[in-house]
Formats: sequence, C-alpha cells, structure tokens
Amino acid sequence: MNAAEELKRLLPNAVVSTGIQINKPLAVIRKEELLKVAEDVKEMGFDHLSVITGIDYTDRFEVVYNFFSYGKKQNLVLKVILGHDNPEIDSLTTFWKGADWLERETYDLVGIRFTGHPNLTRILLPEGWIGHPLRKDYDMKTEQFVMLGEDGEDVVSTDGSKLLRRK
Amino acid sequence: MIENAYQLIVYVLTLLGVYEWIYGIFQSFGIDYVLQIIIVFVEIVILFAFVLVTVMFLTWMERKVVAMVQSRYGPMVTGPRGLLQPVMDGVKLIGKEDIIPAKADRWIFTLAPFIVFIPALLVFIPLPFGKSLIISDLRVGLLYIIAISAMSPVALLLAGWASNNKYSLMGAMRAVAQDISYTIPLALTAIAVVMFTGSLSTVDIVNAQGGTWFGIIPKWFIFIQPLGFILFLIASIAEMGRIPFDFQESESELVAGFFTEYSGMKFAMFFLAEYAHLFAVSGIIVTLFLGGWEGPALPFIPVQLTSLVIFLIKTYAVIFFAMWLRDTVPRVRIDQLLNLGWKIMVPLAVLNLLLTGFIVVAGVI
Amino acid sequence: METEELLLNMGPVHPSTHGVLRFKLRMDGEIIKECNIVMGYLHRGTEKLGEMKTYLQFTPYTDRLDYISAFPNNYAYAKAIEELAGIEVPLRAEYIRVLTMELNRIINHLVFMGSLLMDLGAATMIMWGFREREKALQLFEMLCGARMTFNYIKPGGVRDDLPDGFIPKLNEFLKDMEKRIDDYEQLINENEIFLMRMKNIGVISAQEAINYGLTGPALRGSGVSYDIRKLEPYSIYPDLDFKVCVQSEGDSFARYMVRVDEMRESLHILRQVVDTMPEAKIVAQAKYGIAPMTGMPSAVSTYFPRIFAPPAGEVYSRIEAPKGELGFYIVSDGTTKPYRVKIRSPSFCNLTAIPRMVVGLKIPDLIAAFGTIDVVLGDVDR
Repeated sequence: MNAAEELKRLLPNAVVSTGIQINKPLAVIRKEELLKVAEDVKEMGFDHLSVITGIDYTDRFEVVYNFFSYGKKQNLVLKVILGHDNPEIDSLTTFWKGADWLERETYDLVGIRFTGHPNLTRILLPEGWIGHPLRKDYDMKTEQFVMLGEDGEDVVSTDGSKLLRRK
Repeated sequence: MIENAYQLIVYVLTLLGVYEWIYGIFQSFGIDYVLQIIIVFVEIVILFAFVLVTVMFLTWMERKVVAMVQSRYGPMVTGPRGLLQPVMDGVKLIGKEDIIPAKADRWIFTLAPFIVFIPALLVFIPLPFGKSLIISDLRVGLLYIIAISAMSPVALLLAGWASNNKYSLMGAMRAVAQDISYTIPLALTAIAVVMFTGSLSTVDIVNAQGGTWFGIIPKWFIFIQPLGFILFLIASIAEMGRIPFDFQESESELVAGFFTEYSGMKFAMFFLAEYAHLFAVSGIIVTLFLGGWEGPALPFIPVQLTSLVIFLIKTYAVIFFAMWLRDTVPRVRIDQLLNLGWKIMVPLAVLNLLLTGFIVVAGVI
Repeated sequence: METEELLLNMGPVHPSTHGVLRFKLRMDGEIIKECNIVMGYLHRGTEKLGEMKTYLQFTPYTDRLDYISAFPNNYAYAKAIEELAGIEVPLRAEYIRVLTMELNRIINHLVFMGSLLMDLGAATMIMWGFREREKALQLFEMLCGARMTFNYIKPGGVRDDLPDGFIPKLNEFLKDMEKRIDDYEQLINENEIFLMRMKNIGVISAQEAINYGLTGPALRGSGVSYDIRKLEPYSIYPDLDFKVCVQSEGDSFARYMVRVDEMRESLHILRQVVDTMPEAKIVAQAKYGIAPMTGMPSAVSTYFPRIFAPPAGEVYSRIEAPKGELGFYIVSDGTTKPYRVKIRSPSFCNLTAIPRMVVGLKIPDLIAAFGTIDVVLGDVDR
C-alpha cells in the first residue's frame, strides 16, 4: 500500500482520488480538508516539502505539493483543485517553514492566495506589479517598468516615457 | 657630533665649503634665522618626497606580494615589472570626479582626508632613519609617536560621520573602538622598553640596542622582550588597520568602511595615509625591538648611509610580514578583536611590564 | 543607555551578497535584530519562458539558472523530460553526463570556497580556486565549446561524444586536484581565525533544517545523511562507489567541511567513471526519429529533434545538484511546448533559513553564514 492509499484509509473524506504520477503516489485532496491532511501527512513522516507548484488550467487552478520522507524514503504528491475565480487555499507554513517562500512565490507568479500565511507579499516581482505572470491570461503586451521610489522602495508603473531607453 | 638631519645638512654644506658663504650672505642682511627656516623646509620637502615615493613603492610592492602568494603576476604593463603602476593610479585618481554626497557635511567631509594624512606624516619626525638621520630627536619621542598615532581615529570618525552613510559610520565606530583598545597594550609594551633605556628618546632607544652578547646575538630588545615584541606587533597591525584587523575598511562587510563615499583625490589621501602609516609603524617596531639602524658598519662608506640601508632592510622585512599576513588569514570579527584586546592583550602587557620591572630592579641585564 | 535601532539595507549592490540580493536588517549596533530578504532583481521569468519555448529550446535557459554549475541544470531538465516521455538513454551518454556533473560539482565547490574566504577577508583562496577552475573550464570548452553555459546535455543523450585527448587531460586534472585540495585544507582548515569565524555560527539543527526545506550540503552539514544520488538513484550512480559526506554540528564550519569532503568524493567518482566508461560510441537515443549518434563531429548534433512532443502528463524529477535539490516539475499537454515548467531551485529554498540563522548574530556572521549556504542569484530569482 503506498502513501496515497494510506492517506485515503486515514482520511476517506478528504481524499478525492488516488493514483500514480510517474513513480510517485498521488492523492487529490479536497481543498477544505488540506490542513487536516497536512497534519496527517506530517505524522506519516513526510518531513520534507520539496516544492509547491501552482498551475493555471484556464478553467481551474491546481496546487501540487511534492513531499518526501527522509525516514521512509518515500515520495508523496498531493494535489488540490481550486476554482478559477479567486483561488484560495490554506497555508502550510505552520507545518513546514520551508513553505513560506514557496507559497509566496506561487502567490506572486500564479496568483493563488494562501490564507493564514504570515506575510503573503510578492517575492520575485516588486509590490504593485499588475497581474500574475504564470497565469495563461497574463497580459504580456503591456510593458511595466520598475523605478526607485522616494523611500528606496520599488515603484511599478506602465509609463516608461521618463526612462532612458534604446529605441 | 652630528645629532640630527639639520646638523647633517649644515655639515654637508660645510664640507662642500659653501655654508660659510651662504651664512655670510644671510648674516649681512641680519636675517640668519631665515636660513634656518630654509634648511628645515628642505628637510620637510625631502621627508615628504621620501614618504610619497615610499608609499608609491609600497602599493606596488603590496600588489606584487599578493600576486606572488596567489600565483599571479600582478601589475606588469606600466613600466618595468609594472613599477610605474602607482603613477598611473595616481593620474587616474586625480582625473576622477570629486563626489560629495548631497547629504554629507561638506566641510568635515573635505577636511577629514587631510586630518588623516597629517598625523601619518607627523609620526616621521622623531623616527630615526639612520645614525643622525632624524628630523628632531625629541626627548619625549616615543610618547609623541603614541600620542600622534592616537589622533588618527578622530579623523576616521570625522570622515565616517560626515559621509552620512550607515556603512561609513559603522566603519568609523569600529575604527575608534579598535584604536582605543589597541593603543593601551601598544603603550604598555612600549613602556617596558623604556624601562630598560630610561629614556623616551628614540635615538637613546636605538643606541641602547647597539653591541652584542657573546659576540653573536645583537642586543636587540626582541631578545629581552619576546612577549612584548609579539604584543606590540599584534597591536601595531591593529593600529595600522590591516587584515586580520582591518575593521575600519572590512570591504566584504561594510563595502569600504569609513571611506565608502570618497572618490578621486580624497580617496587617494586615505590611501596615502594608510601606507605612510604602515611604513611608520613598521619603522617604530624596528626602532623599539629590532635594533633600529644598528648593524655592521662598512669601511669607506659614511655610517649615515649604511645605517639608513640597514634600517630600510629591517623595516621592509616587517612590512613584508604584514603583507604576507594579509594574504594568508581571514578577518576576525569585531567583538572577537575587542575581546582579544581587552581580555588577553592588556593583561599580558601588564604582566610583561611586571616581569620587566623585576628584571630591571634585579639588574639581570 | 538609550540606543536607537538602525535600519541597514545590505545590497542589492554589496560586495558579499554574491549578486543582487538585498538584506533589510534591523540592527541594534552591530547585532541583527531582524533580517528580511528582498530578491527578484535578477528575475527573468524563466518559468514563463519555459511555457513559450519548445522542449529543446528551453535547455539553454536552464544553463542560466545556476550559472556556476550549469551541467546539473541541463541534466535535471533532461531527466524530467526523459521520465515524462520514457526515453532510454545510452549508457555512454549517462557516463558522460555523470562525468560532467561531478566535474561541475568540484568547480562549484571551488567557487564556493573562494567566495566564502573572500567574504571573510582572505583573498588568496579565490585565486587558487579559480586557477584550478580554469583547468576544468578548459575541459568543458573542449567538450562543448562553452565555458559556463553549456547546453550540452539534452533529452535523450548528450550533444557530442568526448573529444580526442579529453580523458588524458581529465586524468591530469584529477591527479593535480588531489594535491590541491590538501593545499586548500592546509591554508584554511588549520587557520585559527577561520575556525573562530566559522565554528558555532549560524547553527541550525537537523530537525529545523528539514523543516525549513534545506537541502544539499547545507542539510548534510546539520547531520542528516541524505543524498538524492543515494535515496532516489538516477543515471549510473547506483553502480558507483561513493559515500555521503555528513557533518553533525550544523554550523558554518560543518557546511564548509561537507563541501570539502564532497570534492574528494567527486574525484573518487570521476576516477571510477573514467575507468569504467563503455566503449560503444552511441551518445544519444534513436527514439522519436532521431538518428543514432556515433561519436561524429558536432555537426551531428542537429540530429536532435527540433520539435518533439512527449505524452501528456506531469512529472516532478529531482537531482542532487551541487547546491542541493534541483527539481523540475513539468506539465505536458501533449503539444510541443511544456504547459508549465516549475523550477525547484536549491538556492531559493536554502535561502529561506538565513533569517532564522542570523538573528542575534552580527553582520560578519551574517556574511559567513550566507556564504556557507552558497547561493547563486540566477538560481534564486530565476
């Protein structure tokens, strides 16, 4: 029995389906039950949160968590499916500190909000950037410029006329 | 008996047979003191030129030593083996824009580089370069040197404060903390030397180191005061602000420390002062512990010349050591440095002083 | 005494932030009270670019992530696609891949040692390190014409076979390197000041290190015996004899020592690879209509498919890059371009632990701890 099936046995209500994602057990999780699942996953020994990936499927968002257990030497993939309007999901920072920046990055680039995150701000792009680049409907035609504001913080504007630019 | 450089100049002029004549001219106008002033002025010009050339040579030497350690060539393009590199650097620095930050304190910012440079030059006055090659044999020579050296943190603080930059300020604060905690062991170990000579005059100190024991070991204070020498060396390197104690600069932490905001000639002034200081402090180490200009005299060559050469050889050996050290060790942390200064160096210096007292009173040496 | 807190902006332009990283420090004198990290100055939108390029077009972009060690980046991406499409790679190609990656691990650690010592104020090590690195770079140049951005490992194999005279030159390098590592250790490890600066600085326990998602030498320095090369063996690593270098203290010095030991292990691996390299000169997979590569000159590299479409699916594939766990999460929708490329970069995730490590320490300690995490800003910002 792989880790995903074990999770299904523990929390039958939370797990929608299980499967295999190229050698790794995969469990699709109900969004509301994520925190409960996370607690169990941590107790099962999955102490390493490898990566959080947000994917925009135009009709839905998927958030994929890749776990690894140093003790059991096993992988586990959790997947949560979110609606396309106003995607929100619980933050896992209380269980894995490493989730902090990964969630911020997902928020920054894909635009998924993590409720309960201590400091959900943009991380790679400056504050004030319009849109989330890794969404499929991101407007790539509008140029955005980053300038240094009065207090040393970055200011984003779509007006590049004041910049020295090579035409 | 020729005692200092002034008398030496007079003596040389007399030998050439022109002194009486020149003196006569000045005396006929009743302004013979003007001649004295001119001679002193000549002394200063020679000293200044010597310091500048030395500094230029030291910058070249530093690069070459670093390059040697790091298996590179170092400067090779300008002049033979890159000897003219310092000249090029100077030309470049003069050509640089002189930037004064908008929020800096203009006057202090401009003044600070000069205040740094002046003590670095003043230290040379009681420094005996050779027999009778001394600007002025002050009776309080050693005290004077320590007092003048203690001036430089003031200038660094001015520079750091006036720049209105957080890195500069932190660099300046570090420099001051470091100088205060290292001037004390420096002075205490110097006092131990003075206890042997009974005089603060640098010439007396050097003279006391003349001669040998058993015909082989020179009577240098390093052999009587090994602990004192080590303490003095460490404290001097901290005074000079060189790796492993280069906190005023510490480029990987504070960008460039107190001269972060300086450019062009003002930056060059700090650079000059740093290397002039390196030479001066090395000279002081040689004077106090390595027998100064004492050494074998050669026939037919004036003793002034041989003693100068001996002094320079010893000084450059100390400088080479400082450069070598810089290439080998990392920087210590500022609090570790202060701990070392107050908790180890100062007690050891006092202990050294105590031991010296016993030896002197017992009259062993 | 009343004191005022100081807000210090370290970076984005600072000598020891290894690029354009910014620490926002709240300081009490020299003591760090709070550390916030601001990044993104080098953000180039690599993941977005991945969605817009074909699978093979994206390989050169992976070079630019961690530009100090680009071979593992190439390989991680290629491995993800191979897993996705089920491509078998010829054995010789795998040997060449491991050879390049381990060589790259050595030079990555050389740069690490150099820049760490530079941050601590000793400039000699970086020159010594770069002297040896230069020799390795010349080997890479022989191999693929590039010194830092290789684009050499492709899905299905490698671009070219080893050139003539490569193995003797490599052997020379290996022999030389052995002695050099001893030299470095003599220069650095026996230096009291270095030990004073590194021991008990930036300590992080094994539990916390895992919780913060640290990987690579940073985690092994905390006493976790982990190495993806052992845990999830890929390529020819199962056939090779090497050990996982672990130190238990979890301080800066432990992280440094792990890397020094790893350099020795990499030399050991390289020697095995050279000894057991298969003779069959096939270095690329013939599937998907690619002609088999038989050690012909580089013009043959055009045989790699310009366009190919792996089956629809998702894969997360990770390798042990010199800096830690480097993973690619690739979503394919069956077209010629990836639907989504997510890069799990070791530098980014390891950096998370820095604020935890340095609060309460001083600026010089921040630099020492940050140096031993070993980040490359291209990898952090992507």
